[in-house]
Amino acid sequence: MSLTSKIPSTPEYPSFASIFLILIAARLWVSLTDLSDILKHDQQLSSPLTSFSQLKEGIFLFNHDIDPYSGGSFRHSPLLLSFFVTALPSSRKLASVLWTCSDAVGAWALVRIWRARQNVRQSPRDVLVAASYLFNPYIFLPSLALSTSSLENTLLLLSIMFACKGKASASLFLLSSVIHLSLSSAIMLLPILLLLITDPHSHIASPKPLSTPLKKAIPLFGEFVAYMVALTLTSTLVAGSWSWIPQTWGATLTLPDLTPNTGLWWYFFTEMFDHFRPFFLMVFTVHLFIYVVPVCLKFQHDPLYAVFILLGILGTFKPYTTLSDPGLFLTMFAIFPEIYPYMRYPIVTVLLHLHASLLMPLFHHLWLSQGTGNANFFYASTLVFACANGAALVDCIWPGLMIAIGPRVEGYSIVQE
Amino acid sequence: MDNTNVETVPKLKRVLQKFQKIFRSDANIHEKRIQRRLKLVNLITRRLKAIKIILFVVGYLWMVLIPFPHLGRGTYIDENALQPGQVNTQWNWGDVHVADRYLEQLEHVRDANYTSEQRATWLREEFGKLGLSASTQSYGFSTSTSNSTGTNAYAIIASPRHSGAEAIVISASWLSRIDEGKGTINIRGVSTILALAGFLKRYSYWGKDIILVISDDYLEGMQAWLGEYHGVSQSGKSVRSTQEPKADLTTGLNAEPLKLASGVIWTALNIDYPGHSFSHLGVFFEGLNGRLPNQDLINSVERIARWSARVPVILYDHLDPREDAPANVVFSWMPKTLYEIADVKSYLYQARNVIRNVGYQYNGRGSGVHGLFHQFRIDAITLFAVPATGPHGFHAIGSLIESTLRTMNNLLERLHASFFFYILTGPQRFLKIGLFLPSAILISVAMMFHGLSTWVDAAWVQEDTDNEVSEKAASTTNKSTKWRQRPRPVIKVLCIMAVTHIFGLVLFTVISRPLFISNYQVLSPITFVVFSGIPLVIRLIPQPAPPTGAAPASSVLKALNLCFASTVISIITVLNFSLAASLTIPLGVPLVASSTSSSILLRLLKYTVYALLGLGWLIFAQDEMVKSIWYWESLRVWFAPFICIVYVPLLLQAGISCIL
Repeated sequence: MSLTSKIPSTPEYPSFASIFLILIAARLWVSLTDLSDILKHDQQLSSPLTSFSQLKEGIFLFNHDIDPYSGGSFRHSPLLLSFFVTALPSSRKLASVLWTCSDAVGAWALVRIWRARQNVRQSPRDVLVAASYLFNPYIFLPSLALSTSSLENTLLLLSIMFACKGKASASLFLLSSVIHLSLSSAIMLLPILLLLITDPHSHIASPKPLSTPLKKAIPLFGEFVAYMVALTLTSTLVAGSWSWIPQTWGATLTLPDLTPNTGLWWYFFTEMFDHFRPFFLMVFTVHLFIYVVPVCLKFQHDPLYAVFILLGILGTFKPYTTLSDPGLFLTMFAIFPEIYPYMRYPIVTVLLHLHASLLMPLFHHLWLSQGTGNANFFYASTLVFACANGAALVDCIWPGLMIAIGPRVEGYSIVQE
Repeated sequence: MDNTNVETVPKLKRVLQKFQKIFRSDANIHEKRIQRRLKLVNLITRRLKAIKIILFVVGYLWMVLIPFPHLGRGTYIDENALQPGQVNTQWNWGDVHVADRYLEQLEHVRDANYTSEQRATWLREEFGKLGLSASTQSYGFSTSTSNSTGTNAYAIIASPRHSGAEAIVISASWLSRIDEGKGTINIRGVSTILALAGFLKRYSYWGKDIILVISDDYLEGMQAWLGEYHGVSQSGKSVRSTQEPKADLTTGLNAEPLKLASGVIWTALNIDYPGHSFSHLGVFFEGLNGRLPNQDLINSVERIARWSARVPVILYDHLDPREDAPANVVFSWMPKTLYEIADVKSYLYQARNVIRNVGYQYNGRGSGVHGLFHQFRIDAITLFAVPATGPHGFHAIGSLIESTLRTMNNLLERLHASFFFYILTGPQRFLKIGLFLPSAILISVAMMFHGLSTWVDAAWVQEDTDNEVSEKAASTTNKSTKWRQRPRPVIKVLCIMAVTHIFGLVLFTVISRPLFISNYQVLSPITFVVFSGIPLVIRLIPQPAPPTGAAPASSVLKALNLCFASTVISIITVLNFSLAASLTIPLGVPLVASSTSSSILLRLLKYTVYALLGLGWLIFAQDEMVKSIWYWESLRVWFAPFICIVYVPLLLQAGISCIL
């Protein structure tokens, strides 16, 4: 809050652009080492829907006139396929450069979001915000592993950035392409529409009903539907038939590939009897969407905050998560410094994340490399990770509500009726 | 609860409401709940010190009690498919004679001072004479500590009943484990393998390929053989195979590719029979990096030895004083009558086993050649024929191996069943994971509690702007008014922690240089002085004054240091319990005890203690250091980098928090 009052004056801060370039150069240097080849197959960093090797397989099949969607291995969107077949490189080194650039764009978008929220042209916190995206290990590692979830994050951040700037068409187009890449991101639609009809500034401390009529969002929604339809038709054109839909969106909804990942779905559906599957698939999917309306209602005065919370829900509960999904949510903490004093147990959350991020690779190793553990070990560690993400969610919802009441007064406590 | 329409409320609900009335009375529910929560928090915080002490005491006591004879249970076979000892063995005195003949020839080979290559060629020819496909493999090892070359010989008995997708290895290293492979030749072990080659080939019931490996040297030969076996032919490990070329460059291993290959190796038996005869069979089982083999393998061997081959099995070379009178140890500090109490004797015997286990496991080196197999997810043990004047020889060990192979042949899937976490206190007694893991976890919890309480305490400061008198008056009525919250310099402390870990990385890079290794006796003390001195020097550089009113960096550093150390300990427990348990000694109480003091001299003294605890090995354990580096460079045992990058920085942080 105090930062908003500071008048931006360029010479006082070390130049953001130069530091930003140094950060990107460091990222680029790491991404060009052999680390990428080691991490490429790590199941915590890329899921079957985002893995680079599966993307390459799809490109190979496509180039050899075989429908990549006829098998069960390629589950990327036709949009990605068409980009990689025509315009973008598929060699490892060039791909590493591309992924780093994508992260750089994402970090830049995050900085723009931060500036838009503070309504300043520059601030001393810019570097910290950029670094928290570029050097968040949860974002860095999937990007090194060339998981396409990094690209999804960038597109989503760009979409939010344009929404903050009020550029409806760009924002909605990018959002519809994100949804094409990963269907679960559809939960971001409502908060982004709200963001478009209001402003991104911090109103978190002064809750009030939505001032602009919701009617304004209807044409925007129409525009979004138009983009979705256009992209769907493009995808069909690329793939040559409708067969891509069950392989990409369908995979999100029916979970055909139970490769372990950091999420909560795979183990549950591995253990389940087949006749319960459709019901629980419905429950899990609905559960993801159930939060959208309440969160948007509660934080209608600050839709960017609703975006933040829903990102956390997406990172915790979506099918086929990689580390970059919760990573994006955790990085977003950097642009809401006003909530820090109201956070309840930040150290507990941090320690939970420390434990989870050490336990997950360890138990993965015990199960799949060393052979002394089993699937339950890794699942237990993903549960710890889910708890850590849940704690982080509580740590953003609680202060988001408490900030309106003001600082804690000794001897008083607040309860919800 | 409001008065709802009584008629419509079912009876059960009414009863429930009555109960609720009793428990909740008429007061505000929320108020009650808040008071209850406050009471609970007060209860815990007021007794926090006692809780911490209890956790520490129980944790350490538990560790001491691990060898207690009434803890734990008897071993059992978990995998029903194994059926140990259910077959009639065919190994007879004729085969023993064959083994004796091989022994004579090997003695000639030994006395004629054959080179490694000549020896391997001879072994290959012997395997060839039996009609087996056999080959040799030359290798060279060059690390910053040592160089060695050698040649392995191996042969494969192709499975007559199967495609050879799986394999069992029987191996013998040329040098015995006595004195850690310093020169005693495992001559009868090698003869056993040769005799078994001809024997096993005669039978048609093998469902898995049997690979016979006679590796050169002690560990090096087997490492070269296994590395090539898995780098080239086991394509199932795609991740490993991509790493292998790089790993080979850094380990300095230069091995010839294997000409013959077989399937996935599931189990391996390593035979170590250096003496003339043996009285007991010792089982060595700890693998590299603290991995243990599936307990079913050990239990099967133990049962077969006991019931089929009639050889007593012991752990390591520890004779059981309860069964062998000569094994009784006389402790000068202990009266003989006390020692004769059954439980005391059992405790001391089991403690000896547990300590030996910890010694092999904590530094990740494993207890012998079988340990190398563990890198590739192969369950392996060494059978050590404890040298004695009798009564057992080739007959016993041959039939034992035959029966064990038959048992392993029964397996249709890898040994699994979570039977990998145990502490063997005796050949027939063990502790399950739940009986030993909590000891280290309790200590880590105590450290976490202390870290969290330090963290919370750092956020509060007593206001002393008011004069003393009024404060005293206020303290009785309203204590909380004089406490003020203050910011904690987290970023600065995290930077200090990150720098210490980078510092550890630098330390590791320095001590693993060939230049350092070749002059380590001179350079180690210098390194100790330099690396423990740098934080002091940095401390002397004038720093910008901390913002007034902020918490001191030292207490925040201590809090985060404890939290991190606790996390490290609790996570290492599942990977290598012995290491975690050993870490609780230098990290547990010492880190909790760190604190600043007003006197500069005392601060420096404290820092020196932590520096010695963290870096003292540079002075006091130089040979161990060089060995650990060798193990890292050639076998990827991560103990040395772990000590440098995690352990040393943790203690340095505690030291720094004393001088900050």
